[in-house]
Amino acid sequence: MLWSNNDQNDNKRAETKKTDKLYSIAVLLEELKSEDLHIRLCSIQKISVIALAVGHVRTRTELIPFLSEITDEEDEITLVLAEELGKFVDFVGGNEYSHTILPPLTKLARAEETVVREKSVESIKIISKAMDKNQIQTYLFPVIKDLANGKWFSSRSSACGLFSICYKSVDKSSKEELLLLFRELCNDKTPMVRREAAKELAELAPIVEEENLKKIIIPLLIQLSEDEQDSVRILTIDNCISVSKLINKDEFITYIIPTLQNCAADRSWRVRHLVANKFYQVSESVDPEIVKENLLEIFIDLLSDNEEEVRVSGTARISDFSKQIKEYQETISDVIFPIIEQLSQDSSKKVKVSLASVITLMAPIIGNQMSIEKLIPICLDLLQQDISEVKLSIISKLESLSKVVSEEILINTLLPVLIDLIKDPKWRVRCAVVDYIPKLGIQLGVDFFNEKIIELYITWLQDAIFKIRETAAKNLIQLTKEFGSDWCTYNLLPHIFKLLKNPNYKIKQIAMYSLSLLAPELEIDIISDKMIPKLTVLQNNKTPNVKLYLAKCLHELIPYTEETNIQEEIIPCLTDLLNDDDQDVSTFAKIALDEIN
Amino acid sequence: MNNTNDIDVILEQLFECSLPTESQIKYICFRARQIFIKESNTIFVPAPVTICGDVHGQFWDLKELFEIGGKPGETSYLFLGDFVDRGYYSIETFLLLLTLKVKYPDKMTLIRGNHESRQITQVYGFYDECMKKFGNSSVWRYCTEIFDYLSLSAIVENQIFCVHGGLSPKIDQINQIRLIDRKTEVPHEGAMCDMLWSDPDETTKEWEINPRGAGFNFGKLVVEKFNKINSLKIIARAHQLCQDGFQYSFDKKLVTVWSAPNYFYRCANKASVMIVNNELDHSFKVFEAAPPEKRNVKHRKTTSIYFL
Repeated sequence: MLWSNNDQNDNKRAETKKTDKLYSIAVLLEELKSEDLHIRLCSIQKISVIALAVGHVRTRTELIPFLSEITDEEDEITLVLAEELGKFVDFVGGNEYSHTILPPLTKLARAEETVVREKSVESIKIISKAMDKNQIQTYLFPVIKDLANGKWFSSRSSACGLFSICYKSVDKSSKEELLLLFRELCNDKTPMVRREAAKELAELAPIVEEENLKKIIIPLLIQLSEDEQDSVRILTIDNCISVSKLINKDEFITYIIPTLQNCAADRSWRVRHLVANKFYQVSESVDPEIVKENLLEIFIDLLSDNEEEVRVSGTARISDFSKQIKEYQETISDVIFPIIEQLSQDSSKKVKVSLASVITLMAPIIGNQMSIEKLIPICLDLLQQDISEVKLSIISKLESLSKVVSEEILINTLLPVLIDLIKDPKWRVRCAVVDYIPKLGIQLGVDFFNEKIIELYITWLQDAIFKIRETAAKNLIQLTKEFGSDWCTYNLLPHIFKLLKNPNYKIKQIAMYSLSLLAPELEIDIISDKMIPKLTVLQNNKTPNVKLYLAKCLHELIPYTEETNIQEEIIPCLTDLLNDDDQDVSTFAKIALDEIN
Repeated sequence: MNNTNDIDVILEQLFECSLPTESQIKYICFRARQIFIKESNTIFVPAPVTICGDVHGQFWDLKELFEIGGKPGETSYLFLGDFVDRGYYSIETFLLLLTLKVKYPDKMTLIRGNHESRQITQVYGFYDECMKKFGNSSVWRYCTEIFDYLSLSAIVENQIFCVHGGLSPKIDQINQIRLIDRKTEVPHEGAMCDMLWSDPDETTKEWEINPRGAGFNFGKLVVEKFNKINSLKIIARAHQLCQDGFQYSFDKKLVTVWSAPNYFYRCANKASVMIVNNELDHSFKVFEAAPPEKRNVKHRKTTSIYFL
């Protein structure tokens, strides 16, 4: 039996540990022979513990080889094994031994089941980070060659994922070999392998030398973009994004633009769908001039695509794309806005919902004037089309718009529309308006709020739907922070105290909730002199729900109340509630009293 | 999901539709039993209260109900049974309500529906859900045992009689219900069965056979007599789907409340809750199914499902 270095000091301790270690591996062996899948699964989940127990040397010499033998187990087991092995670098004794974990992982990388081999490749990537150049050259490189020349597509697929982690660390002739191998895999007869190779291309491109980028990688990119399988072609856009960052303007126009044109017109809608989604990322890597001259028309075509899903995903990126040509305001006005108008009348509801989610984000890009002339009319039209998801989307993102346009426009154009939407039949739309109005109110200033909005706001605190009442109450904090605690004391609190007397217990509750939320923002004497007395009278209310809430509310207010008030008013009140018949009132009173003591 | 028996922690996780562990479920059933045992066959419920009908495992729609009606614990709720079967989340739904009962015993009242039964749950989905989510029938057993302890009816301030199905020819006066031994699987006939299975019928005069095969159809004369003898304002019951969420019958002497919107994820019906205030006036709040983006389960283990 081998002893690990740690234990040689203490014989007796070592003796027990020796038995433990023997015991652990023995137990593992036993459990792994069990017929019950669940037991085998549990024991595999614990192999890190066992590795820790047996120590570095025995993990390398006994545990790892043992685990290599059980790689043809059930998929549930091998999946967990693949994952656990990725954590083994420390258990085998650190970086210098990390390559010893490769054998079982290599075997698992040949597995038929996709998730298992994907997890193995992931784990190989993790442990390779711990390897130095020598280890990679000596141990990882042969593994990749081996897998890449495997008989079954499963091992060749796995090989694809390992090129980028290996390339930098090997010598020149090995690099050449790797690129040759990679080219073979891109030409593999099975589409699954070509697909994995296409995925890896984006990772490999930034790593290879400039010469190889142009000689090998870009031609492969173009070749794969013309593959007969759409599952391979669909990866073109990611590869274009990756390569665009590495080449100059002329190369971009020569190689990438034609490729993009082709995949934006691909016969498979899934390819076009992904292109529409990620197109803006290509434009991030090139000059705005090229975006305007070459990329814009491709994007516009995608927005007019026949397939609804393509239009939906393209529309969702309009603001992201427009940001790239921010300096060409005229182009945005003359080319992009006509398309936006067209999309706002699209036959598909999904497209309109997608448009609604980004349209207000155009405002900061185009500025006040164009927002008023072009953007607001479209927004108003969309709001009037009576699609609730559209309304919800626009209202929840109105801040982007309102920060750009003038106050006049806000008051005369937007506000009336919003007030109208307060009566919308869908409660979530009403709730979105209630959530937005405070932000608008803050922008328009305290006088405007007091004059035009506050009365309306108080009615929202009494809405029949709980969530709306709650939203209105929560936004009171923001308003008080902006307008000040004096404003709150003189303008808001009188209304809330009135609500405390409302016969409906739910209104009383929301009033109490509001007070507990506002307390941190208010002067201590306001709380002690004004708030507490108005609250404690509620202890005589007949409804248990009111008393229960009162106990909760007082509990929240304790940190903000003067000691004398706590002793003279709150504690007697809570003590009274403690003796209430209703179990829940009593429970909450007790919680509050416990906190005081 | 850790394995604590702290009610607050369990509640927080249930609100996110996280499946409790088997031992947590056993514990909650144990705590709930201690409370149910003390409740009589007709529970007295003080006003104000919000009365809800069938929920049938539609967890996200139950959450929508709470957004509309108010937080449980702060608002009093009375659920008229049929918590399980048909929906995809019978376990989470029932356990949420049960845990709320343990946490707020006086603010949450649960009575039994005809689906709270061993026989019915084996046909309409609850048993299958337990097997699928736990791999064995223990959870189903714990729940069906606690079903036996659920009360049969409730009465709000002596004026609103609440039951899942309807009336029974064997029960003229409410205090006759006290004589029933309810701690049993739902019988095939008799007063307890009738209360959970019967339906009102505008075309029936008094009593007729119920096409469901259990309980009876009862008509206007029966309801008028029952309300008069027992000094009731109205009977509130559930058990039957209402396209508009609720439905009055017999000149508003009886009302059906239904709280499962888009029932079975396909009926496109609305749901409602009946809000009773301190003065015993009632109104209905109608609501629809929660939108798709709110029906989001976060903490789900997917490995076990993958390999099925």
